Amino acid sequence: MSTREVFTDRLQAGVLLLPTMVVSLVFLYYPTVRAVGLSLYRASLARGDVFVGLENYRRLASSSEYLRSVLISVLFAACVVVGVMAVALCISFLIHEIDVGKGLYLVAVIWPYALPPAVAGLVFLFIAHPNIGIFTSYIEAFGVDVNWFSNGPQAFVVVLIAAVWKQVGYNVIFMTAALGNVPESLTETAELDGVSRTRRLLRVYVPIISPTLVFLVIMNTIYGFFGTFAMVDLMTKGGPAGATNILIYDLYRTAFQFYEFGFASAKSVVLFVAVGLLMYGQFRLSDRYAYYGG
Amino acid sequence: MLGSLLTALTAAAEPSRSAGRTTSERIRRFETEQLTLHVLAATIVFLIILPVLIAALVSTKRAGIVTSIGDLAPGGHALSNYRRALIGLEFWRFMLNSFLMSVAVVVGKLVVSLLAALVIVYYRFPYKNAVFLFILFTLLLPVPVRFVPLYRLTTELGMSNTFFAITVPYLASATTVFILRQHFLSIPASLVETAKVDGVGPLRFLWSVLVPMSRAVLVGVSVIMFVYTWNQYLWPLVIINAESLQVAQVGLSLLRGQASTGEVAWSMVMTGSMLTLLPPLALLVLFRRQLLETFTIQQK
Repeated sequence: MSTREVFTDRLQAGVLLLPTMVVSLVFLYYPTVRAVGLSLYRASLARGDVFVGLENYRRLASSSEYLRSVLISVLFAACVVVGVMAVALCISFLIHEIDVGKGLYLVAVIWPYALPPAVAGLVFLFIAHPNIGIFTSYIEAFGVDVNWFSNGPQAFVVVLIAAVWKQVGYNVIFMTAALGNVPESLTETAELDGVSRTRRLLRVYVPIISPTLVFLVIMNTIYGFFGTFAMVDLMTKGGPAGATNILIYDLYRTAFQFYEFGFASAKSVVLFVAVGLLMYGQFRLSDRYAYYGG
Repeated sequence: MLGSLLTALTAAAEPSRSAGRTTSERIRRFETEQLTLHVLAATIVFLIILPVLIAALVSTKRAGIVTSIGDLAPGGHALSNYRRALIGLEFWRFMLNSFLMSVAVVVGKLVVSLLAALVIVYYRFPYKNAVFLFILFTLLLPVPVRFVPLYRLTTELGMSNTFFAITVPYLASATTVFILRQHFLSIPASLVETAKVDGVGPLRFLWSVLVPMSRAVLVGVSVIMFVYTWNQYLWPLVIINAESLQVAQVGLSLLRGQASTGEVAWSMVMTGSMLTLLPPLALLVLFRRQLLETFTIQQK
């Protein structure tokens, strides 16, 4: 028992907790539970709800369009996680190894953390525009036909680059902090033994900062699934032909373009289960592989 | 663990040991290495800044069409562009809405989370762990997963197109409660014991002891919450239809359509983008120290 727990008035405790509990219940738990309930109905904007049982889920399982969206989401999130973490690790290591001006580089690199996703989407839409993009003519000089408004894989890559660019700063914040905590003596030992830089990064630092890396894998996965909505909406609207139609965008369209609330709810339940499983899996993995100092 | 790591390290050691070199040789090598690192870092910084730099330049030009690097010279229309976006196209309204929304959410979340963290750290009551888990579990329920029923609920309450809709659902924050809890746990327990002996009540203790002792964390948390709220896009897009109530993130695409009917006026869109980026960026630069400190707590 901690000696901090000096207050014992249960009524007081209840009253002070009330705002958090009420908001959590009304705006977090209730909508989630209701999504489960709503997913069993055919529900639209104006007409009454009709109970249809598992019909919506059956529709999901047999929809090739939806399965494609699942595949694209997973692929997209995986690419975001790998891309962001590889780039951020290189940058963080670079900043870590620099002697003077670390702080300056850090601020110059982490600011996209504060960048609104909508702005990231619009700026990339502009600079990578197939017709008026500033680099388009240069890239086309290499024999690549830049046309991501109609070329699916190209659209996927462009949105991916925007997404990675926006998220690198967030990762650098955590990685430089973690690298800063690595004991100096380890670095010295490695240097005296003539261990090369890259080897030192991969063999010494990465294992030690692995708890941070696991945390970042979770955060980046969630970002890949949800945080990129604005970019998809502003850049490709899920197209061309569904090439960037990640689950959250698909869900948005089902609900607010086709007003199929029941069907959309089934989709949000699937998303909820997927995110839950992902987080659970990663917490389990973090126990097994993460190095917790010592 | 450490032992095996060192063994692996020694085994991985390269044959050419730096100990064999002369001192001046090592210093020279060290200097060229640092120079290389600086060149690399500067290049990366430039690449990361580049897109926004281009946007900033375009926001100073009359026509926003820039098809080659040669077109990038800054134009002389910065003032008129920003004035047209803010006043002519009424972007100030979106900015104001975003600002009010973010401030309301930050203040509300701070108060609500401070109270919850106070109870979780300084009160003894049954099912405490269950309550904490109940709060933490909400991390699994981000807005995008529940926005369909949330939309229905808000509409049924008659709250769509209101300030209520874009603030109240954000008030509970597991992250904030968690960060504050971690911070409170690092404050010596003797403080609260003394306070209790002196007959200081919990709210008084929170206000006169905890809050002053948590200044850096509170600032850091506020910046994180402000950036998070300011950058919201999906929920305002869904729940706000009245243009006069819309926030900057969604207003940007309205700007895109409004600036000119036929062709997109890119300089206007980039001007709007720069305006929307400014508040969170300013906060990040101003409070970077507190922000980094808070992130360090979050990680633990």
